[in-house]
Amino acid sequence: MSRRDTSRDTSRDTSRSLLRATSVTHRFGDLVAVDDVSMHVEPGEVVGLLGANGAGKTTLIRMLLGLLATSEGEVVVLGGPPDRARRRRLGYVPQNLGLYRDLTAEENLTFIARAYAAARPVLPPDLAAYAGVLVGDLPLGIQRQVAFVAALCHAPEVLLLDEPTSGVDALSGTRLWDTIRAESDTGVGVLVTTHNMQEAEQCDRLLLMSDGKVVAQGSEGDVIGDTTAIAVHTDDWARTFAALNAAGQPVVLDGRAVRVADGHVARLEQILAAEGITARLEPVPATIEERMLVLARGEADTS
Amino acid sequence: MTFGVRSARVRYGDRTAVDDVSVELDAGSVTAVVGGDGAGKTTLLRALVREVALDGGTVTAPDKDRLGYLPASSGSWAGLTVAQNIDFVGGVFGLAGEALAARRAELLAAAGLTAAVDRPASQLSGGMRRKLGFCMAMVHEPALLVLDEPSTGIDPVSRIDLWRLISETAARGAAVVMSTTYLDEAERAARLLVLDRGRALVQGSYDEVRAGFVGTITRDRAAVRPHWSWRRGRERREYWPDADQPAGQAVVEPDLEDIVVALSLAARNREGAAT
Amino acid sequence: MRAMIVKEFRELVRDRRTLAMLVVMPLLLLIIFGYAANFYVSSVRSAAVGPQAEQVVSQAPAMFDFTVVEPSEGQADAEQLLQDGKVDVAFVTGRQPVLALVDGSNLFAAQSIVGALNKAGNSVTTQVLYNPDLKTSWVMIPAIIGLILTFVGTLITSIGLVREREQGTMEQLAVMPIRPTAVILGKIAPYFLVAAVDMTIVTLLGVWLFGVPFNGNVLAFALGAALFLFVVLGVGVFISTVSETAGQAIQLAFLLLLPQILLSGMIFPLEAMAAGVRWIGYLLPLTYFTMISRGVMLRGAGIESLWYAYLILAVMAVVVFTGATLRFRRDLAPGARSGHGRRGGKEPEPATVTAPATGGAA
Repeated sequence: MSRRDTSRDTSRDTSRSLLRATSVTHRFGDLVAVDDVSMHVEPGEVVGLLGANGAGKTTLIRMLLGLLATSEGEVVVLGGPPDRARRRRLGYVPQNLGLYRDLTAEENLTFIARAYAAARPVLPPDLAAYAGVLVGDLPLGIQRQVAFVAALCHAPEVLLLDEPTSGVDALSGTRLWDTIRAESDTGVGVLVTTHNMQEAEQCDRLLLMSDGKVVAQGSEGDVIGDTTAIAVHTDDWARTFAALNAAGQPVVLDGRAVRVADGHVARLEQILAAEGITARLEPVPATIEERMLVLARGEADTS
Repeated sequence: MTFGVRSARVRYGDRTAVDDVSVELDAGSVTAVVGGDGAGKTTLLRALVREVALDGGTVTAPDKDRLGYLPASSGSWAGLTVAQNIDFVGGVFGLAGEALAARRAELLAAAGLTAAVDRPASQLSGGMRRKLGFCMAMVHEPALLVLDEPSTGIDPVSRIDLWRLISETAARGAAVVMSTTYLDEAERAARLLVLDRGRALVQGSYDEVRAGFVGTITRDRAAVRPHWSWRRGRERREYWPDADQPAGQAVVEPDLEDIVVALSLAARNREGAAT
Repeated sequence: MRAMIVKEFRELVRDRRTLAMLVVMPLLLLIIFGYAANFYVSSVRSAAVGPQAEQVVSQAPAMFDFTVVEPSEGQADAEQLLQDGKVDVAFVTGRQPVLALVDGSNLFAAQSIVGALNKAGNSVTTQVLYNPDLKTSWVMIPAIIGLILTFVGTLITSIGLVREREQGTMEQLAVMPIRPTAVILGKIAPYFLVAAVDMTIVTLLGVWLFGVPFNGNVLAFALGAALFLFVVLGVGVFISTVSETAGQAIQLAFLLLLPQILLSGMIFPLEAMAAGVRWIGYLLPLTYFTMISRGVMLRGAGIESLWYAYLILAVMAVVVFTGATLRFRRDLAPGARSGHGRRGGKEPEPATVTAPATGGAA
C-alpha cells in the first residue's frame, strides 16, 4: 500500500478510515470526560494527540480500543465496532510498555507472540544483543524498542502509542520514530499521545484536546491558532520577571529573556513603567504549550 | 557562590556512569542537564547533593540546610496531605508555627496548589505532585536547588507552571540545576549541559552551543551516509562534521535537537571506528 | 494459555524469595513437626526437700530428674523453687502423704507429672500450683501476648519502612538535615506505641475474659515487654533494609514468624523437642518473652529468677538494633551507592502517576 500524502487530510471517505470517532461523548456520572469529539486516523498517517491532564485523551483512547463504551456517538475501528476480534488487529503500547521486567526480552516476545497466535518476531540486529537480558535491566530506550517489536509482531493495522519517546535521549528517540514511520509507510495508521513538543513535530497532523473537546486540529500552526506571545528583552531580567509575575502575567524565562503568553503590549508596558524598567517588547510566535496554557487559564476562569 | 562539580567521575562496578564532567552553577541562573535515560543525569545530580560519593573529581555544594532537592521519584509522601507534606519538611528545617504557615501559604499560592491543600498527595495528578515536590524543596529558601527530571511525563501546562516556579527561584538569586529530557526546556535555560552515556557532549549557553557547533547539517528525503543521518518529521537530516557535504544539499540552521543528535551520532561513530 | 503458564513459571524462577518460601517452608514444617512436635515431656526437673528426700529420689520413676535434693529445706523453699522456675515439681517430705507441688505454668510437664503421680496412688498428694485446673488458655495467653508483639513489631514495622523506599522518598530524607538515628527512632515510635497498647489490651482481656491470673509485678512484665519489643522492632527495621517492596517484606516477616510460633515453646514444650531442634528455640526472642510472661503472670516470679531471660533479650535488642541501624544508615547516609539496577538513571516515576485517581477522566 503506497503512502498517501496526508498532510492536509480531511478525508470524508469514512469507509477507508482505520479509526473514526463521530460525535463521541463519555460521561462519568456528572463529569463529561469526552465531549462531542470527532476525529479520524487514515492509513499511512501519524496523528498526534495533545492535551493537558484531564483533557480526555486517555478516555478517548479507551473508547477507541473498545475498553470503554461511549455514552453517545459512534466509534468505528477497522470498519466496525471495536470488539475483541478487531482489537487483535490493533497494536497498543501503553506508557509503562506492558513488558515483564523479570523476563528477558526474548521471553517477553515469545509470550506476546503466543498470546496473539503470531509468529515469534526476530529481534532486529541492533537489538539482538539484548535478547537474553532481563527487561528490567535494559536502558529505557532499548526497552521501548523491544516493546515496539512486541507490538508489531502480529502485524497490526493500527498503532496506538502512549508517549512513545518519553524519557529517551534525542538520538534514540529518532530511531524509534524511524520504526514508527516505517510502519506508517506500509499503510498502518498511527495515533500517538504525547506531551513532548519535539514528538509533536514528528506527526503529520495534530489534535489538541482541552476539557473533553477537540479545540484544534491540523498542523502546528493550526493548533497554535491565534495565540500570541511577547518576548521582553531587558537588562534586568530578574526584576522584570518579578514585576510581571507579581502582576499575574503568565511569564516564563527564556534564556535571559522573559516571555509572556497571550501578552498585551500596552498592559505590559504599563506594568514595567510602574517599576521603572526599560525594555523592548517583541511579539513572537507562540508555542503549542503556550496555547495550552492560555486554554487552561481560560478554563480556570470559567470554572 | 558558584557551585558545581569538576572532573566528576562515578562508577558502578565496571560501568562508568559519569565520566569527567565539569559544570559550574551560578547563583541566579538556571542550568539544564540534558540527556536520555542512562546518560548520567541522575547520578550527576546525586553526586551534587552528596548522595553518591565521587570516584574522582570534586563537588562544591552547600550544606544540607541550604540545599534543596527534588528526586526523580515522586518527591512527596503519598499518605500525607499537601499541607502535611510541607509541614514535615518545614519542621525538619526548623520552621514552625506562624512562620511555617506563612511560608506554606506563599509556596502553595505560587504553585497554584492552594485549593488542594488538604488533599492527600496520592490523589494529585502527576503535574501537581511535582509542583508539590518543588514547594517542598524550596521551603527553606536554599542557595542551590537541584531538580531531577521535574517535568518528565508531566502535562505541558504543569510544565510551564513548573518552569515559571523555577524561573522565579532563579530570579530571587538561587542557583538552579535541573535535569530534563526535553530539549525545548534546555533551550530556555541560561546554561545547558548535554550528557551522553556519562560524558559531556557540549555545554554553555544556547547561543554558545550554536556558535561552537562544528560542521553542517543537511536535509533531504534520503541520506547519503545512513550512519550519519536521522529522521526528522518526514525527512532525514545528515551531519557533516567536516562541512564537506556534496553541492546541492540543503543546509539547515541547526536547532538544539539537531546539534544533540549530530554530536551523539558522532560520538557513537567514533567509538565504532575505534573498535 | 500455555504461553501464560510458561511466562508465570519463568517469572517465578526469577523471584528468588517466593521460590525460597515455596521450597523452604514445607521442609521447615516437616522438620519441625518431625522433631519438635511432641506434647509428651519425658523428663522433668524435680526437687525433693524434707527428711525423706533421699528416699523419694530413689523411689521415683525415671522421668523425674532430681536436680535439687535438700533434706534440710521445707515447703516454703520448695515453693520458691517452683516460683523461680527452677524445677517443675517439688516433693515435700516429712509428712504423710508426701506432697508433690507441681508447676502448673509448664502445662505439658505438669500433665505428664500428674499422670505419673496418679499411678503412685495414695502415697503422694498432688497439688498443682499457679494453674490448678491446668487450663491451656492460662498458659497460651501469656505466650500469645508475645506473638502479637512479634506480629506488630516485625511485620508492620518492616512494611512501614519499606513504604518509604517504595515511594522513593528515602532519597529526600537522605538529603535533608535529619540524622539517620532520628529517622529510625521517629519511624518506630508509632509502632512501639501501637504495640504497647495492643499488648495492654490483650493482657487485660486475657485476665478478664479468661481469668488468667496476673500474680506478678507489673513493672517486671513491662520491662520484659519493652525489651522484647525493641528486639522485634529491630528485626522489623532489618527486614525493611533487605526488602525492596512491601510484598518481599511480608514474605520475610512470615518466614521468620512461623518458626517462632512453633519453636518458642508456645505450643510445643521446649523440653520435649529433640535436642537438634531445641537449640533453634533458644535463639528465638519469643522463647524468652514467653518465659517472662508465663513466669510473671502465672507464677508471680520476679526479675531475679528470670534475669537470664531479660539479659538475653537485652543483648538481642542491642545486636539486632545496631545491625539494623547500620544497614539503614547506609541507605540514608551520603556516599551510599544506589541499588537501582545497572542503569545509571532511574525510570521517571511521575510518568506513571499521571493517571488520576479522580473520576477517570484524563
